[in-house]
Amino acid sequence: MTQDYEVEFVERSDREARFLVRGISPAFANGIRRAMIADVPTFSVDTVRVIENSSVMFDEQIGLRLGLVPLTTDLDDFEVGDEVTLSIDVSGPETAYSGDLVSSDSLVGPADDNIPIIDLKDGQRLEVEADAVLDRGREHAKHQGGVAVGYRHLQRVEVVGDKGEFEDDETHILRGVIEEQAAEHVDGDADDGDLVLTEEFDSDLTKRYPGKELEVHDVENAFVFHAETDGSLSVEELTLRAVDSIRSRADELRDAVQL
Amino acid sequence: MSYKCSRCKRDVTLDEYGGVRCPYCGHRVLLKERSRDVKEVDVK
Repeated sequence: MTQDYEVEFVERSDREARFLVRGISPAFANGIRRAMIADVPTFSVDTVRVIENSSVMFDEQIGLRLGLVPLTTDLDDFEVGDEVTLSIDVSGPETAYSGDLVSSDSLVGPADDNIPIIDLKDGQRLEVEADAVLDRGREHAKHQGGVAVGYRHLQRVEVVGDKGEFEDDETHILRGVIEEQAAEHVDGDADDGDLVLTEEFDSDLTKRYPGKELEVHDVENAFVFHAETDGSLSVEELTLRAVDSIRSRADELRDAVQL
Repeated sequence: MSYKCSRCKRDVTLDEYGGVRCPYCGHRVLLKERSRDVKEVDVK
């Protein structure tokens, strides 16, 4: 059985996106969310060899900080379990940043150069060699590529009439994305089914539809995802890899139960 | 075993007869130096 899903991007940048998916069940939406968090592998420092650490922090704390630095990951060239060595050598007085990490492989390196690791005072030095391993978020949170992944039901806002003369315009907060029914509002040019970011009207429906009586309904089987990555992958890659991992597990299950 | 005197900051080597005392300034507080071995730490 195959089923077509409708996907529409509302907002999109390299690390963050908001997209609408129609035709999926709540369980499947949650499956995608979980796969984006736990099933897409990313590189992360897993062992460190401390050659010199005369800073004020213990080796283990430095190791944990290095482990949490997002490393760029190219999933076409590596598979789970692959290792890449990085090194850092900084002498005080200076702050050691993630950008000081030198990688043995040009495909793997810090996604951001400005993550502080430790502030070194005069005479202090940090020299460390670190092995980064490609693994999944379900093994350790440092391997999570998706850091803020969530979804909401798409909500349809309908104007059902005017508010009574003496009724107060109480704030009506709605976050994410709404689907508009063709109706009068401040802009006056809504088409039926328009997707509008609630940020455009401060997430307050009374600002978009002043003096109107509204009804808000969940749109069945339509979910608006909001996804953000830590920089190790693009949000597009993260989503596609997550869906691929669900597909491959479904195939595996189908093959396993066939007699 | 190498130590460093906490008062005069000089390197001190202890033997079994001298007791814990800096041979240069007589100070009794010695700090142990970090070993030069490479230490491997698991990031978990």
